[in-house]
Amino acid sequence: MNVSFTVNGRPTAVDVPPKMVLLDILRDVLGLTGAKPGCEIGSCGACTVIVDGEAQNSCTFPASRLEGTAVLTIEGLAAPDGTPNDLQQAFVEHGAVQCGYCIPGIIMAGEALLGHNPTPNRTEIREALAGNLCRCTGYVQIVDAIEATARQRAGVEEAV
Amino acid sequence: MSSSLKYVGNPQAQAVDALDKVMGRARYVGDMTLSGMLHVKLLTSRVPHARIMKLDVSPALAVPGVVAAITSADFAENGAFGWPIKDAFVLAHEKVRYVGDPIAAVAAETEAAATAGVRAILLELEELPVVSDPAHALDEDAPLVPLVPPKDEGNLCESLIVRNGDPDPILAACETVLDETYHFQHQEHAYLEMEGALAIPAPDGSVTIFANDQSPHINRGNAAGILGLAEENVRVIQPPVGGSFGGKDDVLYQFTAVTARLALITHRPVRLLLTREESLQTSYKREAMSLHLQIGMDGNGRLRAGKANLLADSGAYASMTPLSSWRASMHALGTYRYEAATVDTQAVYTNNGYSGAFRGFGNTQSAAASEIAIDELAHLAGIDPIEFRLKNMLRTGDTAFTGNVIAHESGLEKCLLWVREQSDWADKRAQYAAQDDGELARGIGVACYFHGTGLGGEGLDYARATLEINRDHTITLQSGLTDYGQGSRTVFTLVAAETLGVSPERIFMLRPDTQTALETGPTVASRASIVGGNAVRVAAEKISHLLHLAAADLLACAAERLLWQDEQFIGPSESPVSLDAVIDHAFEMGLQLSVQGYWQIPEIHWDFETGSGTPYFTYSFGAQVADVTVNRQAGAVRVNKIWAAHDAGQIIYPNGAKGQLLGGIAQGLGYALTEGFSYKNGYPEKKNLNQYKLPTALDVPEIETTFVKTTFPNGPFGAKNLAEPVMIATTPAIANAVFQAVGVRCRQFPISAAWLREQLLG
Repeated sequence: MNVSFTVNGRPTAVDVPPKMVLLDILRDVLGLTGAKPGCEIGSCGACTVIVDGEAQNSCTFPASRLEGTAVLTIEGLAAPDGTPNDLQQAFVEHGAVQCGYCIPGIIMAGEALLGHNPTPNRTEIREALAGNLCRCTGYVQIVDAIEATARQRAGVEEAV
Repeated sequence: MSSSLKYVGNPQAQAVDALDKVMGRARYVGDMTLSGMLHVKLLTSRVPHARIMKLDVSPALAVPGVVAAITSADFAENGAFGWPIKDAFVLAHEKVRYVGDPIAAVAAETEAAATAGVRAILLELEELPVVSDPAHALDEDAPLVPLVPPKDEGNLCESLIVRNGDPDPILAACETVLDETYHFQHQEHAYLEMEGALAIPAPDGSVTIFANDQSPHINRGNAAGILGLAEENVRVIQPPVGGSFGGKDDVLYQFTAVTARLALITHRPVRLLLTREESLQTSYKREAMSLHLQIGMDGNGRLRAGKANLLADSGAYASMTPLSSWRASMHALGTYRYEAATVDTQAVYTNNGYSGAFRGFGNTQSAAASEIAIDELAHLAGIDPIEFRLKNMLRTGDTAFTGNVIAHESGLEKCLLWVREQSDWADKRAQYAAQDDGELARGIGVACYFHGTGLGGEGLDYARATLEINRDHTITLQSGLTDYGQGSRTVFTLVAAETLGVSPERIFMLRPDTQTALETGPTVASRASIVGGNAVRVAAEKISHLLHLAAADLLACAAERLLWQDEQFIGPSESPVSLDAVIDHAFEMGLQLSVQGYWQIPEIHWDFETGSGTPYFTYSFGAQVADVTVNRQAGAVRVNKIWAAHDAGQIIYPNGAKGQLLGGIAQGLGYALTEGFSYKNGYPEKKNLNQYKLPTALDVPEIETTFVKTTFPNGPFGAKNLAEPVMIATTPAIANAVFQAVGVRCRQFPISAAWLREQLLG
């Protein structure tokens, strides 16, 4: 089937089987390998991307639901000049990255959370990450990075 | 000392590869696609034990899209491999020995075609009796798992002893003897990135493999032997690795050889990526282990003697179980003083998957068993668990139960005191002891540990590193030790920067490539920081010497008269010259600014025959406290908070060290509560991550951590080891907290809600 949607703001059209999942479209058709496979059943969150503002497991998101949506992936967060966004930078500064395989998914889950709730507390951050497994970090520094980014964004907005 | 350090120990230091990872541009092996690349699928065993009566891959070749198919017959010696016991095959030979055992491999234009090819393979199996209970693996009528018994005693894979005096008469004289057995389960590494290898053939018959392994040089040597190639014709390059924890050794050696053979046959790039379900079946696990401990104390709560009997389930192959069983034996009675102690350990073959290296490497189970036992003894003695540990623990200069002296400063007391104070131990302990029998019960528990550094008696413990200064004034650093997420590239970069007195930004550390990195031994046993860090320090000292030579020549003075400050050399004339100018001058002089560093841990000796000697050169120490809530109705355990202190000497990369501690605790928490990789008559019971439950962000609590200061003269800037030991106190601390909460002693793991509910409701 033909589906048209946007990926990181760019209009995209692909001709794929209706059951093909977004993860495979991103990785195998569009060459965007930031989202990772980790379980293929929506249990680990390594493939998390944002579709129309919501965090989604792209490994279980079929092409048939894709028409007209706006997809945001880890590749779409940086500024046009390649500068990482504040959340990405916070992950680096807080030591939230070890092997890094889960990190694109976790950053996207964090972005989706901040989109809905700009000032989450640590419990809310943990709840938002409950579908994203990380085997290296124990999550604490990840929560630190998201919390710091939220504060920074809120502070900047107040200052404006 | 640390106050004079600029880069080592700097809390602002950041991981050298984190930016690529947060941007999503780090290219793991599954992210690499080459033109003309073939996809591989494996035929694996669906039964735990069977003889291969017929195996014919020719029908697979008739499937459209299939290009090649291979079996054990396509390798030298039928693909036999394995160290220390060569009992495994790249693809099963004569028998299959566990569910998931790879039998054949098919390369095809698409994954779907490869899958169809696998289905077309003609396989006839004659099922054999299964041994699944390690306690019966040595029975006379137990089915034999290995093709050749390595010890001439059926399914006995390894036996090990510790002999330090005679504990029996002392135990007979003790006021109290605890006599209990502790059972620990298999644990899956569950690295988020599954196993993968991409092999690329060259016209000259050589092959390059990108593999997400732990020890590329060992992988190369192994693959070359099996492929019948010279080592220089096999190049292993390590891409970013998505977690390992000990889990990406043997299984990656298999897949490296499989993809390399298929690439050489087809003259095309070939990639194998496991799915999670394939990975859970085929990859190795932490060995299940039973520990029978007998520990005696006098009427004052002073430990006197101990005996331990360990039984490890190696599963279908030996892999690293002989060595992890040895480490388990060296830690089986914990970090305490005894007048006499013995350990008797057996590792046995079964048809339960297979066991291999996993963070903690035997001490995960030993520390858990002995720390629960110590808690039981403290309870019997009526002494506070932390007091009891302080009274009996090893201090600097004491003799461990293995008979060797704790030669370097021990930070154990500092760790115990820190967790006691930070956790508000005394108040919580009293408060929880006084609570009524409501639905929710709180408890607080402690555990501590020692952990031998490096390979110890397992073998020569060395590393090499190379440093090169380039014409553009940048510095290239390389080692064969891999960074699979634990941060060793950052650690090495900081050590080089500190030693040279240059900014870390000037240094780029390559990932291992067997063509360019020097052979460095395995990346295991939390040894990278000490051994690899020292090799880097040695290399940096050598290149610093060359730079001083060039600067002395440029400034026309003796090298001893040079001052090195802020990346400038200052000579007697007091006008500084920049490092860049000195580098340019060195090249004009014809100095090759390229050096190698080598370092090895001072040799120690353990006598395996007599069970005595010095197992490790030094130890790291730590303590943790866990605060839990038990729901009596549901049996569920919730961990409210953990306090963790670890003694790793000088910390090199603080954010990374803290991350190791936090991540280790999460793995220990999983091992305590949810992570049981179980087998029923050889059949694995968990298929995917919806059934094998890893701790989520909701399960791992807030954690307070510290690193206590101790001195260690042999470490790079005084650093000790870190990655493994930090996980091993978590499981027993939680178990001991559960005991305080509800009075149930956990001696079987994981502490499932169903089991605990049964204990509580009767």
